Amino acid sequence: MSTYRVAAKGRIDQSRPVHFTFNGERFEGRKGDTLASALLANGVHLVGRSFKYHRPRGILSAGSEEPNALVGVSRGVGRSEPNTRATVLEVFEGLNTVSQNHWPSLKRDVGTINDAFYMLFSAGFYYKTFMWPKSFWNKVYEPFIRGAAGLGKSPSVPDPDTYASRYAHCDVLVVGSGPAGLAAALEAGRSGAKIILVDEQAELGGSLLSEPAAGINGQPAWQWLETAADELAASKNVTVLTRTTAIGYYHENFLGLCQRVTDHLETLPEGAPRERMWRVRARQVVLAQGSIEKPLVFDGNDRPGVMLAGSARTFLNRYGVKVGNRAVVVTSHDSAWLAAINLAEAGVKVSAIIDIRASVPYHLVDLAKAHGIEVLTGWTVTGTSGRLRVSSVRVNPVTAGGKVGRARNIACDTLLMCGGWTPSVHLFSHTKGKLDWNEERQMFLPGAPTEETRCAGAGNGVFGLLDALKEGAFAGASAATDAGFKAKAGDYQIEGEIACTGISVKELPTDRNSSSAKAFVDFQNDVTAKDIRLAVREGFQSIEHIKRYTTTGMATDQGKTSNINGLAIASDAVRRPTPAVGLTTFRPPYTPTTFGAFAGYTRGSLFEVTRKTAIDGWAEQNGAVFEPVSLWRRAWYFPERGEDMHQSVARECKATRQSLGIFDASTLGKIEIVGPDAAEFINRMYTNAWSKLAPGRLRYGLLLGEDGFIRDDGVIGRLSTDRFHVTTTTGGAARVLATMEDYLQTEWPDLKVWLTSTTEQWAVIALNGPNARQLIEPLVEGIDLSNQAFPHMSVAEGNICGVPTRLFRVSFTGELGFEINVPSRYGRAVWEALYEAGRQYDITPYGTEAMHVMRAEKGYIIVGQDTDGTLTPDDAGLGWAIGKAKPDFVGKRSLTRSDMLKADRKQLVGLMTRDPKTVLEEGAHIVADPNQPVPMKMIGHVTSSYWSEALGRSIALAVIEGGRAREGQTVHVPMPGKTHQAEITGMVFFDPENERLNA
Amino acid sequence: MLLIRCPHCAAERPEVEFVYAGEAHISRPRDPAVLTDEQWKNHLFIRSNPRGTHFERWRHIHGCGRFFNAVRDTVTDKFAMTYKAGLPRPSEAEIREARS
Amino acid sequence: MLQQYRPLDGSRIAVPDSVLGIEMADDCTRFNLRIAGTGIAPAGKVFGVTLPKVIGQTAASGDKLALCLGPDEWQLMAPLDERDRIEAAFAALYAKVPHSLVDISHREVGIVVEGSAAAVALCSACPLDLDEMPVGAATRTIFDKAQIVLIRQGRDSFRIEVWQSFADHVWGILQAAGREITLEI
Ligand SMILES: [Zn+2]
Repeated sequence: MSTYRVAAKGRIDQSRPVHFTFNGERFEGRKGDTLASALLANGVHLVGRSFKYHRPRGILSAGSEEPNALVGVSRGVGRSEPNTRATVLEVFEGLNTVSQNHWPSLKRDVGTINDAFYMLFSAGFYYKTFMWPKSFWNKVYEPFIRGAAGLGKSPSVPDPDTYASRYAHCDVLVVGSGPAGLAAALEAGRSGAKIILVDEQAELGGSLLSEPAAGINGQPAWQWLETAADELAASKNVTVLTRTTAIGYYHENFLGLCQRVTDHLETLPEGAPRERMWRVRARQVVLAQGSIEKPLVFDGNDRPGVMLAGSARTFLNRYGVKVGNRAVVVTSHDSAWLAAINLAEAGVKVSAIIDIRASVPYHLVDLAKAHGIEVLTGWTVTGTSGRLRVSSVRVNPVTAGGKVGRARNIACDTLLMCGGWTPSVHLFSHTKGKLDWNEERQMFLPGAPTEETRCAGAGNGVFGLLDALKEGAFAGASAATDAGFKAKAGDYQIEGEIACTGISVKELPTDRNSSSAKAFVDFQNDVTAKDIRLAVREGFQSIEHIKRYTTTGMATDQGKTSNINGLAIASDAVRRPTPAVGLTTFRPPYTPTTFGAFAGYTRGSLFEVTRKTAIDGWAEQNGAVFEPVSLWRRAWYFPERGEDMHQSVARECKATRQSLGIFDASTLGKIEIVGPDAAEFINRMYTNAWSKLAPGRLRYGLLLGEDGFIRDDGVIGRLSTDRFHVTTTTGGAARVLATMEDYLQTEWPDLKVWLTSTTEQWAVIALNGPNARQLIEPLVEGIDLSNQAFPHMSVAEGNICGVPTRLFRVSFTGELGFEINVPSRYGRAVWEALYEAGRQYDITPYGTEAMHVMRAEKGYIIVGQDTDGTLTPDDAGLGWAIGKAKPDFVGKRSLTRSDMLKADRKQLVGLMTRDPKTVLEEGAHIVADPNQPVPMKMIGHVTSSYWSEALGRSIALAVIEGGRAREGQTVHVPMPGKTHQAEITGMVFFDPENERLNA
Repeated sequence: MLLIRCPHCAAERPEVEFVYAGEAHISRPRDPAVLTDEQWKNHLFIRSNPRGTHFERWRHIHGCGRFFNAVRDTVTDKFAMTYKAGLPRPSEAEIREARS
Repeated sequence: MLQQYRPLDGSRIAVPDSVLGIEMADDCTRFNLRIAGTGIAPAGKVFGVTLPKVIGQTAASGDKLALCLGPDEWQLMAPLDERDRIEAAFAALYAKVPHSLVDISHREVGIVVEGSAAAVALCSACPLDLDEMPVGAATRTIFDKAQIVLIRQGRDSFRIEVWQSFADHVWGILQAAGREITLEI
């Protein structure tokens, strides 16, 4: 094992080696390592190339804020993920990882040429560089952008993993399990309230995991932590979710928590979901998200080996890893001094602490000197050297007047920096809670909340351990109290805490020309201080504009380490106070989240509900090809051996017209309307007249919106004086019922009538063809099927095959037809019985396509295909369906608006192509004169178009301006390759006298 | 996801059980035939679209099935109150009290 | 009579030790009853169960169950052989008390979800707080994209009533949830 691993330190299991690869090289880590800590333990700092300049980059942090150390993870086919943060990726035996954004290798990358063309990529380069000449776009710019675009490599095969989701409810949700969050969960848990404690890390503790030296209530910190974790685990009312990130905070205390279930496991349990999205509704929320350390902005601050000081401390104390052998520290905050001393104690040679501040607390200076560390207060860092790893740092004194003195170089293999700490207010910000700027502390702090929430600990600007514990306990107790439980905050004692303070600075002062400095603000998007100043010089004033122009804060880390530095520099450049420049909005998710986690169960066969009829299984067994119709899947056609769709549909149509076809119409929407005012209600809803419809009779019904346009249609049967069986289109079923309920409940609540959906109560078998009556006559009981007793548009109740039926005599094909409604669980058996009995008539199952062809031959419209929400009944040739004597119905008033009466409205007509073999494309445009200049005036379009086997030619329906008056005229239909001629005709192509359906 | 109090179920239920149904307190004219085109147009198409307090209709479609009215702030999205359809528009004082 | 086909007949999801058992419920007669104020009491008499008046409550008598789903809406559930009697009795009531009684026996299927992890399985796609749902309560709600009626028959026993074409979808999610519960993950 390397010299960077410190024995007897950290929380990793030193006795359990774990092997993994990085860029094909095999490494050894320890159980409990992250990829970052394991690589550092092997002395590896260079882990990737930056997005824009392909600069070598190392590990900046130890947490989920990491902007640099993004890797690709692969664990078998389909299981590859780009942009995984090495600082949160737990190593396991056999883990394979690769670095990103380089070619051919991490150490030699031709993309670094971008770094040399630095000027080309400065702020707004997206908007400037690729502007001219125009001819460069296709050949130069676009290939370049495409080649350079994208962070990491996206997977190229479907994800084999499954994902889960779960709703949960609790009294108190605590986000973050650092000292404040733990204290909150303990107090709230003791009240008996239902608690969920969530933390993104693998174990509870947060910052305590990096602070073993502190003592809490007489116990060493880690022992106290263990006791606390045990207490929570033993509490039945507490759910602890580790490896779970609170990604978003939505209305009414609704939070999304993404739980990583299997990513850390060596072997994946069969059938286990990879991640689970918890959707939690909490009565009260405690946000204890902690804080994120700020980098300092100076030339060369992105070189591998330059790292946040607090993170170096975490690597040492939590993972037992020295991040280097020879460190220099640069800081504006006391906390980095503690890191330096920790490292020195562990045997790291800490050459110097450079503090921007002229004066630093004596006890820190004394402590540093006692460890042999050179102290340079009132100094600055002006550069770093080293190709793939920092090898020295250039430091200069700064006078009280701000003058930067002569530089000297200090050799090092690690440079630790700290620019202070930023409270994590992300989730609070999701709620639109106001953030208040604290000028003295130079930080945004949570202000007045908009939800039942409270912030505690470092995330609330309370940084000390004791203060965080106390505030957490108070927050937990008051949250439980507000949720209706009895709770009181306990007290805490702390030993060995050193209070830390610091200042905030913008870029560090330098003696060099700042316009050539590469002082990075946003590491992931390669945005420098100079870029931000340039944006301001070019006129951008608002941080929202500066952000988009420079792309600072727009990377996958959402600027967790860069926002405040960027804001400070912008505010300095525009010479306005920070709050006036404004903070950009934080949006969910808090950290990058997989699409799978959002999708949950919603993939594959569960992607969408697939509704199947009772007869669907028969269709499947008999070779049907299906098509989706709203949520249903419907049999489209039934090809016999070797048939294509065209042949199959032609055969199905022919067989139906010649003898007998059978069709599954179960998806038709059905509504039972019952009550003394049923007829009156239907009168008001539908255009037609209903009062005089006798029981036992059917009528075609047309439903409009109040705007006068066709919304739905269907056949309505009157079963008795007070009971109607209404059918709707397949897609319109739910909508029509909702519209009816709306009128009934809110406009006409005095009507005594009730609506019930019966769509799924009934399976519907349509029998059509000259032999339809012969087939069912012997199977039907209780209904006289003779033409006199049971003419077209009749309904009766009886039995078929021994099963109760509502038998409709109705036709959507123009043939003698019946629609047999049976309770749906009998649907398949009745279908099979009819099919068996029908063999003598060569009964032929037909699908939706043949149904569409046959109805078009008769000129029957399909709402939603031949109408598009802009057709009135008259436009559709359905003026006859309006009850002229009715004083009112839904949509009637609109039919007399002036626009509705114009002669040139688009009207539905028939079209016959000059060449009978040409089947027009549905949706094709129609013009009157094909020789007019482009753009031509479009006078309509084709809505339905088929090959009609019955007519031996093509037919079409179309909407055309003033179409009915143009009957007999020729129009032109441009299609790919040719413009076709067609004659405008009436809509009925087949059996206009209706002899067949009345047979 | 919002929580919405259904005045019929007398309970707060998750938003996924509800559908929005447009502005409230717009009733269909008794006799549309007597309206001018202008009046009918205003009834059909013109809505208040306020910033702030909005009176609107919701339906507890996957619950009790009832349409009801709500007062909601279009800036914060927060509901001040809900009440049964047919009841008069609440006064400003009633809304203030419901909010507090 | 002919053979009936039900979706998912014979399917079962089981996690041992009474942790989870999910199967199709036995068939029953179902009616949707819509009736106004003064008719509620006589309707209850006709059905044989005093109809609960609070939305979300159920009332049972023998094998018969009445769920109050809306201010004027009940779902009535009874043994299969009671169908004709109930229909005839309500028909006789109609002249005095107009109402709507519609047979929805075949519209839906019942799925019984039982065991100590029953609530966890339901929480995979049901947004309700089941801790707040007392035994004997019933409510229409949503399960992923399917509308259901959820009945709490016991502490660890629920029944889902769902339109039959949505049953596969509900089942698929319960199956996934069942796998998670089996793996204790
Ligand atoms: Zn309700």
